[in-house]
Amino acid sequence: MKDEHTLTEKDDSEHKTESGVLELRNLAVGYDEALISEINVKIKPGETIAILGPSGIGKTTLLRTIAGLIRPLDGEIIHDFPKRSGIGYIPQRLGLVRHSSVRSNVALGARTRKPSWYPAILPLGRELNNDIDSALESLNIQDLSTNPVRILSGGQQRRVAIARSLIQRPKLILADEFLGELDTENVNSIIKATKSLISEIEATLIMVEHHEERAQEIADRIWRIKDGKLFEDGE
Amino acid sequence: MNKKFIITTVILLSLTWMFLDDLVEDWGQIESAPERLETFFNEDLWPPDWSVLEAEEWADGTLHKPDGELCTEDYEFFCSKAWTGMVITIKMAFISTLIGFMISVPIASLAASNLAPLPIAIPARVILAGLRSLPSIIWALLFAIALGFGPLPGILAMTLYTIGYLGKLQYEAIEGIANAPLESAMAMGLTHSERLVHVVIPESSNDLLSQLMFMFEYNVRHGTVLGLVGAGGIGMYIDNYINPPFAYDKAFALLIVVFVVVVIIDLISMFVRSYVIEDGDVKRPKWWTVLLPAGIAADYYKKFRAKDSDESE
Repeated sequence: MKDEHTLTEKDDSEHKTESGVLELRNLAVGYDEALISEINVKIKPGETIAILGPSGIGKTTLLRTIAGLIRPLDGEIIHDFPKRSGIGYIPQRLGLVRHSSVRSNVALGARTRKPSWYPAILPLGRELNNDIDSALESLNIQDLSTNPVRILSGGQQRRVAIARSLIQRPKLILADEFLGELDTENVNSIIKATKSLISEIEATLIMVEHHEERAQEIADRIWRIKDGKLFEDGE
Repeated sequence: MNKKFIITTVILLSLTWMFLDDLVEDWGQIESAPERLETFFNEDLWPPDWSVLEAEEWADGTLHKPDGELCTEDYEFFCSKAWTGMVITIKMAFISTLIGFMISVPIASLAASNLAPLPIAIPARVILAGLRSLPSIIWALLFAIALGFGPLPGILAMTLYTIGYLGKLQYEAIEGIANAPLESAMAMGLTHSERLVHVVIPESSNDLLSQLMFMFEYNVRHGTVLGLVGAGGIGMYIDNYINPPFAYDKAFALLIVVFVVVVIIDLISMFVRSYVIEDGDVKRPKWWTVLLPAGIAADYYKKFRAKDSDESE
Protein backbone atom coordinates (compact mmCIF):
# COMPACT_ATOMS: atom_id res chain seq x y z
CA MET A 1 0.00 0.00 0.00
CA LYS A 2 1.28 3.44 -0.86
CA ASP A 3 1.12 5.93 1.96
CA GLU A 4 0.11 9.33 0.68
CA HIS A 5 -2.83 10.33 2.77
CA THR A 6 -2.53 10.38 6.50
CA LEU A 7 0.26 12.06 8.36
CA THR A 8 2.62 14.47 6.72
CA GLU A 9 6.36 13.90 6.36
CA LYS A 10 6.86 16.39 9.16
CA ASP A 11 4.64 14.37 11.45
CA ASP A 12 6.53 11.18 10.65
CA SER A 13 9.89 12.73 11.33
CA GLU A 14 8.57 14.04 14.64
CA HIS A 15 7.60 10.49 15.64
CA LYS A 16 11.08 9.23 14.97
CA THR A 17 13.00 12.04 16.62
CA GLU A 18 10.96 13.19 19.59
CA SER A 19 9.23 11.32 22.36
CA GLY A 20 8.27 8.31 20.23
CA VAL A 21 4.83 7.24 19.28
CA LEU A 22 3.40 6.73 22.73
CA GLU A 23 4.37 7.35 26.30
CA LEU A 24 2.58 6.18 29.42
CA ARG A 25 3.56 8.27 32.44
CA ASN A 26 2.78 7.01 35.91
CA LEU A 27 -0.42 5.52 34.53
CA ALA A 28 -2.95 3.75 36.73
CA VAL A 29 -5.78 1.86 35.06
CA GLY A 30 -8.92 0.21 36.39
CA TYR A 31 -12.55 0.95 37.02
CA ASP A 32 -13.13 1.84 40.68
CA GLU A 33 -9.84 0.50 41.95
CA ALA A 34 -6.55 0.39 40.09
CA LEU A 35 -5.86 -2.96 38.43
CA ILE A 36 -2.42 -1.89 37.24
CA SER A 37 -0.57 1.15 38.50
CA GLU A 38 2.71 3.06 38.11
CA ILE A 39 3.05 2.21 34.44
CA ASN A 40 5.95 4.13 32.93
CA VAL A 41 6.86 3.15 29.39
CA LYS A 42 7.92 4.68 26.10
CA ILE A 43 7.12 3.03 22.82
CA LYS A 44 8.96 3.76 19.57
CA PRO A 45 7.34 3.74 16.15
CA GLY A 46 7.20 0.34 14.50
CA GLU A 47 7.61 -1.70 17.68
CA THR A 48 5.47 -4.75 18.38
CA ILE A 49 4.61 -5.31 22.01
CA ALA A 50 2.82 -8.28 23.52
CA ILE A 51 1.12 -8.04 26.91
CA LEU A 52 1.03 -11.32 28.81
CA GLY A 53 -0.67 -12.25 32.06
CA PRO A 54 -3.47 -14.35 33.47
CA SER A 55 -7.15 -13.52 32.82
CA GLY A 56 -8.78 -10.71 34.80
CA ILE A 57 -5.49 -9.01 35.64
CA GLY A 58 -6.21 -5.83 33.67
CA LYS A 59 -4.68 -6.39 30.22
CA THR A 60 -7.86 -5.46 28.36
CA THR A 61 -8.46 -2.52 30.72
CA LEU A 62 -4.97 -1.21 29.91
CA LEU A 63 -5.64 -1.51 26.19
CA ARG A 64 -9.04 0.19 26.49
CA THR A 65 -7.48 3.00 28.50
CA ILE A 66 -4.82 3.58 25.84
CA ALA A 67 -7.60 3.51 23.21
CA GLY A 68 -9.31 6.35 25.08
CA LEU A 69 -12.39 4.31 25.99
CA ILE A 70 -11.79 4.49 29.75
CA ARG A 71 -10.36 7.41 31.69
CA PRO A 72 -7.07 6.64 33.43
CA LEU A 73 -7.33 6.63 37.23
CA ASP A 74 -4.03 8.44 37.42
CA GLY A 75 -1.14 9.54 35.21
CA GLU A 76 -0.97 10.51 31.57
CA ILE A 77 -1.08 8.99 28.11
CA ILE A 78 0.98 11.07 25.70
CA HIS A 79 0.93 10.53 21.98
CA ASP A 80 1.82 12.77 19.08
CA PHE A 81 -0.65 11.54 16.49
CA PRO A 82 -4.20 12.63 15.80
CA LYS A 83 -7.01 10.77 17.58
CA ARG A 84 -8.90 10.34 14.32
CA SER A 85 -7.24 7.62 12.25
CA GLY A 86 -4.27 7.47 14.63
CA ILE A 87 -5.50 4.45 16.60
CA GLY A 88 -6.69 1.16 15.15
CA TYR A 89 -8.52 -0.90 17.75
CA ILE A 90 -9.34 -4.60 17.43
CA PRO A 91 -11.22 -5.77 20.52
CA GLN A 92 -11.55 -9.40 21.60
CA ARG A 93 -14.80 -9.82 19.70
CA LEU A 94 -13.28 -7.91 16.76
CA GLY A 95 -15.90 -5.14 16.80
CA LEU A 96 -17.02 -5.68 13.22
CA VAL A 97 -20.41 -4.52 12.00
CA ARG A 98 -21.92 -7.96 11.50
CA HIS A 99 -24.75 -6.95 9.20
CA SER A 100 -22.53 -4.91 6.88
CA SER A 101 -20.45 -6.28 4.05
CA VAL A 102 -16.72 -6.92 4.29
CA ARG A 103 -16.12 -3.89 2.11
CA SER A 104 -18.30 -1.59 4.24
CA ASN A 105 -16.39 -2.68 7.34
CA VAL A 106 -13.05 -1.89 5.76
CA ALA A 107 -14.51 1.37 4.42
CA LEU A 108 -15.25 2.35 8.01
CA GLY A 109 -11.50 2.41 8.65
CA ALA A 110 -10.87 4.33 5.42
CA ARG A 111 -13.45 6.93 6.48
CA THR A 112 -11.17 8.04 9.32
CA ARG A 113 -8.80 9.38 6.67
CA LYS A 114 -11.43 11.91 5.65
CA PRO A 115 -11.71 14.99 7.89
CA SER A 116 -14.25 14.68 10.71
CA TRP A 117 -16.52 17.29 9.11
CA TYR A 118 -16.91 15.12 5.99
CA PRO A 119 -20.61 14.08 5.90
CA ALA A 120 -21.18 10.49 7.00
CA ILE A 121 -23.58 9.74 4.18
CA LEU A 122 -21.25 10.79 1.34
CA PRO A 123 -19.18 8.17 -0.52
CA LEU A 124 -15.44 7.97 0.07
CA GLY A 125 -14.19 8.78 -3.40
CA ARG A 126 -12.08 6.87 -5.91
CA GLU A 127 -8.71 7.18 -4.19
CA LEU A 128 -9.84 5.66 -0.92
CA ASN A 129 -11.89 3.04 -2.76
CA ASN A 130 -8.74 1.95 -4.61
CA ASP A 131 -6.97 1.72 -1.27
CA ILE A 132 -9.80 -0.44 0.07
CA ASP A 133 -9.37 -2.75 -2.92
CA SER A 134 -5.67 -3.15 -2.29
CA ALA A 135 -6.23 -3.67 1.47
CA LEU A 136 -8.73 -6.45 0.69
CA GLU A 137 -6.24 -7.99 -1.70
CA SER A 138 -3.30 -7.86 0.70
CA LEU A 139 -5.32 -9.83 3.24
CA ASN A 140 -6.70 -12.14 0.59
CA ILE A 141 -10.36 -11.33 1.25
CA GLN A 142 -11.14 -9.59 -2.05
CA ASP A 143 -13.51 -12.40 -3.09
CA LEU A 144 -15.56 -11.95 0.08
CA SER A 145 -15.97 -8.22 -0.47
CA THR A 146 -19.77 -8.21 -0.77
CA ASN A 147 -20.48 -10.89 1.85
CA PRO A 148 -21.96 -9.82 5.18
CA VAL A 149 -19.40 -10.28 7.93
CA ARG A 150 -21.71 -12.48 10.00
CA ILE A 151 -21.42 -15.39 7.57
CA LEU A 152 -17.59 -15.43 7.52
CA SER A 153 -15.39 -17.88 9.40
CA GLY A 154 -13.38 -16.77 12.44
CA GLY A 155 -10.18 -16.49 10.40
CA GLN A 156 -11.83 -14.45 7.66
CA GLN A 157 -13.40 -12.11 10.21
CA ARG A 158 -9.98 -11.51 11.75
CA ARG A 159 -8.60 -10.60 8.34
CA VAL A 160 -11.43 -8.08 7.90
CA ALA A 161 -10.70 -6.55 11.32
CA ILE A 162 -7.00 -6.24 10.45
CA ALA A 163 -7.77 -4.72 7.03
CA ARG A 164 -10.09 -2.21 8.71
CA SER A 165 -7.35 -1.14 11.11
CA LEU A 166 -4.54 -1.04 8.59
CA ILE A 167 -6.42 1.04 6.03
CA GLN A 168 -6.56 3.84 8.60
CA ARG A 169 -2.74 4.04 8.29
CA PRO A 170 -2.74 4.26 12.06
CA LYS A 171 0.31 5.01 14.16
CA LEU A 172 -0.86 2.64 16.85
CA ILE A 173 -2.80 -0.62 16.59
CA LEU A 174 -4.29 -2.05 19.76
CA ALA A 175 -5.30 -5.69 19.38
CA ASP A 176 -6.93 -7.68 22.15
CA GLU A 177 -6.28 -11.40 21.67
CA PHE A 178 -7.19 -10.90 18.05
CA LEU A 179 -5.74 -14.24 16.96
CA GLY A 180 -8.06 -16.04 19.37
CA GLU A 181 -8.17 -19.80 19.13
CA LEU A 182 -7.41 -20.04 15.42
CA ASP A 183 -5.55 -23.05 14.02
CA THR A 184 -1.79 -22.71 13.53
CA GLU A 185 -1.98 -22.46 9.75
CA ASN A 186 -4.46 -19.58 9.91
CA VAL A 187 -2.50 -17.84 12.67
CA ASN A 188 0.76 -18.06 10.74
CA SER A 189 -0.68 -16.63 7.54
CA ILE A 190 -2.45 -13.81 9.42
CA ILE A 191 0.71 -12.97 11.38
CA LYS A 192 2.79 -12.94 8.21
CA ALA A 193 0.39 -10.63 6.38
CA THR A 194 -0.10 -8.35 9.38
CA LYS A 195 3.63 -7.99 10.14
CA SER A 196 4.53 -7.03 6.60
CA LEU A 197 1.69 -4.52 6.34
CA ILE A 198 2.44 -3.01 9.73
CA SER A 199 6.11 -2.54 8.87
CA GLU A 200 5.05 -0.85 5.61
CA ILE A 201 3.18 1.86 7.48
CA GLU A 202 5.57 1.88 10.47
CA ALA A 203 2.74 1.37 12.93
CA THR A 204 3.22 0.27 16.51
CA LEU A 205 1.30 -2.82 17.54
CA ILE A 206 0.33 -3.46 21.14
CA MET A 207 -1.37 -6.80 21.51
CA VAL A 208 -2.80 -8.75 24.39
CA GLU A 209 -1.83 -12.37 23.96
CA HIS A 210 -2.47 -15.57 25.89
CA HIS A 211 0.01 -17.79 24.09
CA GLU A 212 3.56 -17.28 25.38
CA GLU A 213 5.19 -18.88 22.32
CA ARG A 214 3.14 -16.87 19.87
CA ALA A 215 3.98 -13.67 21.77
CA GLN A 216 7.71 -14.49 21.74
CA GLU A 217 7.54 -15.11 18.01
CA ILE A 218 5.72 -11.94 17.04
CA ALA A 219 6.74 -9.29 19.54
CA ASP A 220 9.86 -7.15 19.89
CA ARG A 221 9.05 -6.42 23.54
CA ILE A 222 7.05 -8.36 26.06
CA TRP A 223 5.20 -6.81 28.99
CA ARG A 224 4.06 -8.98 31.85
CA ILE A 225 1.52 -7.95 34.43
CA LYS A 226 1.97 -9.25 37.93
CA ASP A 227 0.68 -8.03 41.30
CA GLY A 228 -0.82 -4.87 39.76
CA LYS A 229 2.47 -3.80 38.17
CA LEU A 230 3.82 -3.93 34.64
CA PHE A 231 7.21 -5.54 34.06
CA GLU A 232 9.13 -5.74 30.83
CA ASP A 233 11.14 -8.80 29.83
CA GLY A 234 14.86 -8.06 29.91
CA GLU A 235 14.56 -5.14 32.33
CA MET B 1 -34.54 -18.49 41.49
CA ASN B 2 -37.76 -20.47 41.17
CA LYS B 3 -38.91 -19.44 44.62
CA LYS B 4 -38.33 -15.76 43.80
CA PHE B 5 -40.22 -16.16 40.55
CA ILE B 6 -43.22 -17.73 42.29
CA ILE B 7 -43.29 -15.06 45.02
CA THR B 8 -43.06 -12.23 42.43
CA THR B 9 -45.83 -13.79 40.33
CA VAL B 10 -48.09 -14.23 43.39
CA ILE B 11 -47.49 -10.61 44.47
CA LEU B 12 -48.22 -9.25 40.98
CA LEU B 13 -51.37 -11.34 40.60
CA SER B 14 -52.60 -10.31 44.06
CA LEU B 15 -52.04 -6.64 43.21
CA THR B 16 -53.92 -7.07 39.93
CA TRP B 17 -56.84 -8.65 41.74
CA MET B 18 -56.86 -5.95 44.43
CA PHE B 19 -56.87 -3.15 41.84
CA LEU B 20 -59.57 -4.86 39.80
CA ASP B 21 -61.79 -5.46 42.80
CA ASP B 22 -61.31 -1.86 43.83
CA LEU B 23 -62.29 -0.48 40.41
CA VAL B 24 -65.19 -2.78 39.50
CA GLU B 25 -68.25 -2.23 41.67
CA ASP B 26 -70.84 -4.40 39.99
CA TRP B 27 -69.60 -7.89 39.09
CA GLY B 28 -73.16 -8.77 38.06
CA GLN B 29 -72.46 -6.94 34.77
CA ILE B 30 -70.52 -9.97 33.57
CA GLU B 31 -73.43 -12.38 33.91
CA SER B 32 -75.61 -10.85 31.19
CA ALA B 33 -72.69 -9.81 28.98
CA PRO B 34 -72.51 -12.87 26.68
CA GLU B 35 -76.22 -12.67 25.99
CA ARG B 36 -76.10 -8.96 25.14
CA LEU B 37 -73.04 -9.48 22.96
CA GLU B 38 -74.72 -12.32 21.10
CA THR B 39 -77.80 -10.20 20.41
CA PHE B 40 -75.65 -7.30 19.17
CA PHE B 41 -73.59 -9.62 16.96
CA ASN B 42 -76.60 -11.39 15.43
CA GLU B 43 -78.82 -8.36 14.96
CA ASP B 44 -76.38 -5.60 14.05
CA LEU B 45 -73.03 -7.01 12.92
CA TRP B 46 -73.69 -10.28 11.14
CA PRO B 47 -73.70 -10.69 8.21
CA PRO B 48 -71.34 -7.86 7.20
CA ASP B 49 -72.82 -5.61 4.55
CA TRP B 50 -70.43 -5.98 1.62
CA SER B 51 -72.04 -3.14 -0.28
CA VAL B 52 -69.07 -1.09 0.98
CA LEU B 53 -67.06 -2.91 -1.69
CA GLU B 54 -69.27 -1.45 -4.42
CA ALA B 55 -69.64 2.01 -5.91
CA GLU B 56 -72.65 4.12 -4.96
CA GLU B 57 -75.48 3.84 -7.41
CA TRP B 58 -77.37 7.07 -7.88
CA ALA B 59 -81.06 7.37 -8.81
CA ASP B 60 -80.22 7.82 -12.50
CA GLY B 61 -78.40 4.46 -12.48
CA THR B 62 -74.87 5.91 -12.72
CA LEU B 63 -72.06 4.71 -10.44
CA HIS B 64 -70.19 7.19 -8.27
CA LYS B 65 -67.23 7.38 -5.92
CA PRO B 66 -67.92 8.31 -2.26
CA ASP B 67 -66.96 11.94 -3.01
CA GLY B 68 -69.63 12.13 -5.74
CA GLU B 69 -67.23 11.85 -8.68
CA LEU B 70 -68.46 9.66 -11.56
CA CYS B 71 -66.92 6.17 -11.47
CA THR B 72 -64.87 5.58 -14.63
CA GLU B 73 -62.84 2.60 -13.38
CA ASP B 74 -63.06 -0.79 -15.09
CA TYR B 75 -63.91 -2.44 -11.81
CA GLU B 76 -66.60 -0.99 -9.57
CA PHE B 77 -64.57 -2.01 -6.50
CA PHE B 78 -62.06 0.79 -7.18
CA CYS B 79 -64.86 3.33 -6.66
CA SER B 80 -66.05 1.77 -3.38
CA LYS B 81 -65.79 3.29 0.07
CA ALA B 82 -63.56 0.41 1.20
CA TRP B 83 -61.01 0.99 -1.58
CA THR B 84 -60.99 4.80 -1.69
CA GLY B 85 -60.99 5.05 2.12
CA MET B 86 -58.26 2.45 2.53
CA VAL B 87 -56.07 4.08 -0.14
CA ILE B 88 -56.30 7.45 1.65
CA THR B 89 -55.58 5.79 5.01
CA ILE B 90 -52.57 3.89 3.61
CA LYS B 91 -51.21 7.04 1.95
CA MET B 92 -51.58 8.97 5.22
CA ALA B 93 -49.93 6.18 7.18
CA PHE B 94 -47.11 5.86 4.63
CA ILE B 95 -46.26 9.57 4.68
CA SER B 96 -46.48 9.85 8.48
CA THR B 97 -44.44 6.71 9.10
CA LEU B 98 -41.67 7.64 6.70
CA ILE B 99 -41.33 11.27 7.80
CA GLY B 100 -41.67 10.22 11.44
CA PHE B 101 -38.95 7.58 10.96
CA MET B 102 -36.53 10.03 9.34
CA ILE B 103 -36.96 12.47 12.23
CA SER B 104 -37.00 9.87 15.00
CA VAL B 105 -33.72 8.12 14.06
CA PRO B 106 -31.49 11.15 14.73
CA ILE B 107 -33.40 12.00 17.93
CA ALA B 108 -33.18 8.37 19.08
CA SER B 109 -29.42 8.41 18.44
CA LEU B 110 -29.16 11.38 20.80
CA ALA B 111 -31.36 9.63 23.38
CA ALA B 112 -29.40 6.35 23.41
CA SER B 113 -27.09 6.21 26.40
CA ASN B 114 -24.41 4.28 24.52
CA LEU B 115 -24.15 7.00 21.86
CA ALA B 116 -24.71 10.27 23.68
CA PRO B 117 -23.80 11.55 27.16
CA LEU B 118 -26.62 11.91 29.71
CA PRO B 119 -26.93 15.74 29.46
CA ILE B 120 -27.92 15.22 25.81
CA ALA B 121 -29.74 11.91 26.19
CA ILE B 122 -32.14 13.11 28.89
CA PRO B 123 -33.55 16.15 26.98
CA ALA B 124 -33.89 13.98 23.85
CA ARG B 125 -35.85 11.42 25.88
CA VAL B 126 -38.06 14.16 27.33
CA ILE B 127 -38.90 15.36 23.80
CA LEU B 128 -39.81 11.82 22.71
CA ALA B 129 -41.86 11.23 25.86
CA GLY B 130 -43.68 14.53 25.31
CA LEU B 131 -44.57 13.63 21.74
CA ARG B 132 -45.94 10.25 22.68
CA SER B 133 -47.71 11.19 25.89
CA LEU B 134 -50.52 12.76 23.85
CA PRO B 135 -52.34 10.03 21.92
CA SER B 136 -52.48 10.66 18.18
CA ILE B 137 -56.22 11.26 18.40
CA ILE B 138 -55.61 14.28 20.67
CA TRP B 139 -52.90 15.57 18.31
CA ALA B 140 -55.39 15.12 15.47
CA LEU B 141 -58.01 17.07 17.39
CA LEU B 142 -55.54 19.92 17.99
CA PHE B 143 -54.52 20.00 14.32
CA ALA B 144 -58.14 19.71 13.18
CA ILE B 145 -58.94 22.81 15.27
CA ALA B 146 -55.95 24.65 13.85
CA LEU B 147 -56.13 23.52 10.21
CA GLY B 148 -59.68 22.30 9.72
CA PHE B 149 -60.81 18.81 8.72
CA GLY B 150 -59.11 16.59 6.13
CA PRO B 151 -56.08 14.32 5.76
CA LEU B 152 -53.46 16.99 6.67
CA PRO B 153 -54.24 17.19 10.43
CA GLY B 154 -54.32 13.38 10.44
CA ILE B 155 -50.90 13.17 8.79
CA LEU B 156 -49.37 15.71 11.18
CA ALA B 157 -50.89 13.98 14.20
CA MET B 158 -49.62 10.57 13.14
CA THR B 159 -46.18 11.97 12.28
CA LEU B 160 -45.72 13.51 15.73
CA TYR B 161 -46.93 10.39 17.49
CA THR B 162 -44.70 8.25 15.25
CA ILE B 163 -41.64 10.29 16.24
CA GLY B 164 -42.39 9.83 19.94
CA TYR B 165 -43.31 6.17 19.77
CA LEU B 166 -40.76 5.00 17.21
CA GLY B 167 -38.03 7.10 18.83
CA LYS B 168 -38.45 5.25 22.11
CA LEU B 169 -38.39 1.83 20.44
CA GLN B 170 -35.35 2.90 18.43
CA TYR B 171 -33.21 4.17 21.29
CA GLU B 172 -33.94 1.00 23.20
CA ALA B 173 -32.91 -1.05 20.15
CA ILE B 174 -29.76 1.06 19.77
CA GLU B 175 -28.87 0.55 23.42
CA GLY B 176 -29.22 -3.19 22.86
CA ILE B 177 -26.65 -3.48 20.06
CA ALA B 178 -23.27 -5.11 20.68
CA ASN B 179 -20.79 -2.79 22.33
CA ALA B 180 -17.67 -3.96 20.50
CA PRO B 181 -18.34 -2.34 17.09
CA LEU B 182 -19.26 0.94 18.77
CA GLU B 183 -16.15 0.91 20.92
CA SER B 184 -13.95 0.18 17.93
CA ALA B 185 -15.55 3.05 16.05
CA MET B 186 -15.02 5.37 19.03
CA ALA B 187 -11.39 4.33 19.42
CA MET B 188 -10.87 4.91 15.68
CA GLY B 189 -12.11 8.47 16.17
CA LEU B 190 -15.33 8.23 14.13
CA THR B 191 -17.86 10.99 14.78
CA HIS B 192 -21.36 10.55 16.22
CA SER B 193 -23.00 10.75 12.79
CA GLU B 194 -20.48 8.29 11.28
CA ARG B 195 -21.16 5.84 14.10
CA LEU B 196 -24.90 6.27 13.62
CA VAL B 197 -24.87 5.77 9.84
CA HIS B 198 -22.21 3.08 9.52
CA VAL B 199 -22.42 1.13 12.79
CA VAL B 200 -25.69 1.68 14.62
CA ILE B 201 -28.12 1.59 11.69
CA PRO B 202 -26.66 -1.56 10.08
CA GLU B 203 -26.31 -3.30 13.46
CA SER B 204 -29.88 -2.58 14.50
CA SER B 205 -31.35 -2.82 10.99
CA ASN B 206 -33.50 -5.80 11.84
CA ASP B 207 -35.07 -4.03 14.82
CA LEU B 208 -35.40 -0.72 12.99
CA LEU B 209 -37.10 -2.35 10.01
CA SER B 210 -39.42 -4.39 12.16
CA GLN B 211 -40.36 -1.28 14.18
CA LEU B 212 -40.85 0.72 11.00
CA MET B 213 -43.21 -1.90 9.58
CA PHE B 214 -45.00 -2.21 12.91
CA MET B 215 -45.43 1.56 13.03
CA PHE B 216 -46.80 1.58 9.48
CA GLU B 217 -49.28 -1.11 10.44
CA TYR B 218 -50.10 0.80 13.66
CA ASN B 219 -50.68 3.99 11.68
CA VAL B 220 -52.95 2.19 9.22
CA ARG B 221 -54.96 0.82 12.14
CA HIS B 222 -54.88 4.18 13.84
CA GLY B 223 -55.80 5.99 10.65
CA THR B 224 -59.15 4.31 11.09
CA VAL B 225 -59.49 5.93 14.52
CA LEU B 226 -58.33 9.32 13.31
CA GLY B 227 -61.23 9.37 10.87
CA LEU B 228 -63.34 9.94 13.94
CA VAL B 229 -61.99 13.48 14.24
CA GLY B 230 -62.50 14.14 10.57
CA ALA B 231 -58.95 13.31 9.55
CA GLY B 232 -60.18 11.47 6.45
CA GLY B 233 -59.63 7.93 5.19
CA ILE B 234 -61.49 4.74 5.94
CA GLY B 235 -61.98 5.82 9.56
CA MET B 236 -64.28 8.60 8.45
CA TYR B 237 -66.62 6.08 6.80
CA ILE B 238 -66.48 3.80 9.83
CA ASP B 239 -67.33 6.81 11.98
CA ASN B 240 -70.31 7.58 9.74
CA TYR B 241 -71.63 4.05 10.14
CA ILE B 242 -71.31 3.81 13.92
CA ASN B 243 -73.23 7.05 14.37
CA PRO B 244 -76.94 7.53 13.71
CA PRO B 245 -78.40 6.22 11.48
CA PHE B 246 -76.42 3.19 12.65
CA ALA B 247 -75.09 0.71 10.06
CA TYR B 248 -72.89 -1.57 12.16
CA ASP B 249 -72.93 -4.28 9.49
CA LYS B 250 -71.23 -1.88 7.04
CA ALA B 251 -68.75 -0.72 9.69
CA PHE B 252 -68.02 -4.39 10.41
CA ALA B 253 -67.33 -5.04 6.71
CA LEU B 254 -64.89 -2.10 6.65
CA LEU B 255 -63.18 -3.40 9.80
CA ILE B 256 -62.68 -6.76 8.08
CA VAL B 257 -61.06 -4.87 5.18
CA VAL B 258 -58.72 -3.16 7.68
CA PHE B 259 -57.89 -6.56 9.21
CA VAL B 260 -56.99 -7.98 5.79
CA VAL B 261 -54.73 -4.99 5.06
CA VAL B 262 -53.00 -5.35 8.44
CA VAL B 263 -52.34 -9.03 7.73
CA ILE B 264 -50.87 -8.13 4.34
CA ILE B 265 -48.59 -5.51 5.92
CA ASP B 266 -47.44 -8.07 8.49
CA LEU B 267 -46.61 -10.45 5.67
CA ILE B 268 -44.64 -7.80 3.80
CA SER B 269 -42.84 -6.99 7.05
CA MET B 270 -41.68 -10.60 7.42
CA PHE B 271 -40.40 -10.65 3.86
CA VAL B 272 -38.53 -7.37 4.25
CA ARG B 273 -36.93 -8.45 7.51
CA SER B 274 -35.89 -11.81 6.12
CA TYR B 275 -33.23 -9.98 4.12
CA VAL B 276 -31.43 -8.51 7.12
CA ILE B 277 -32.19 -10.87 9.97
CA GLU B 278 -29.31 -12.79 11.58
CA ASP B 279 -28.39 -15.80 9.43
CA GLY B 280 -31.82 -15.71 7.82
CA ASP B 281 -33.81 -16.58 10.96
CA VAL B 282 -37.01 -15.86 9.11
CA LYS B 283 -36.22 -16.96 5.61
CA ARG B 284 -39.04 -16.48 3.13
CA PRO B 285 -41.87 -17.58 5.41
CA LYS B 286 -45.08 -18.97 3.98
CA TRP B 287 -47.87 -16.38 3.79
CA TRP B 288 -50.31 -18.29 5.99
CA THR B 289 -47.93 -18.33 8.98
CA VAL B 290 -49.10 -14.75 9.63
CA LEU B 291 -52.40 -16.17 10.78
CA LEU B 292 -50.87 -18.69 13.22
CA PRO B 293 -50.64 -18.10 16.97
CA ALA B 294 -47.09 -17.04 17.95
CA GLY B 295 -46.10 -20.38 19.54
CA ILE B 296 -47.12 -22.51 16.59
CA ALA B 297 -45.50 -20.06 14.16
CA ALA B 298 -42.23 -20.25 16.15
CA ASP B 299 -42.24 -24.07 15.92
CA TYR B 300 -42.89 -23.80 12.24
CA TYR B 301 -39.93 -21.44 11.78
CA LYS B 302 -37.64 -23.82 13.65
CA LYS B 303 -38.60 -26.70 11.37
CA PHE B 304 -38.34 -24.44 8.36
CA ARG B 305 -34.85 -23.29 9.37
CA ALA B 306 -33.66 -26.83 10.08
CA LYS B 307 -34.90 -27.95 6.68
CA ASP B 308 -33.32 -24.96 5.04
CA SER B 309 -29.88 -25.50 6.60
CA ASP B 310 -30.00 -29.21 5.69
CA GLU B 311 -30.59 -28.25 2.11
CA SER B 312 -27.76 -25.74 2.07
CA GLU B 313 -25.34 -28.36 3.41
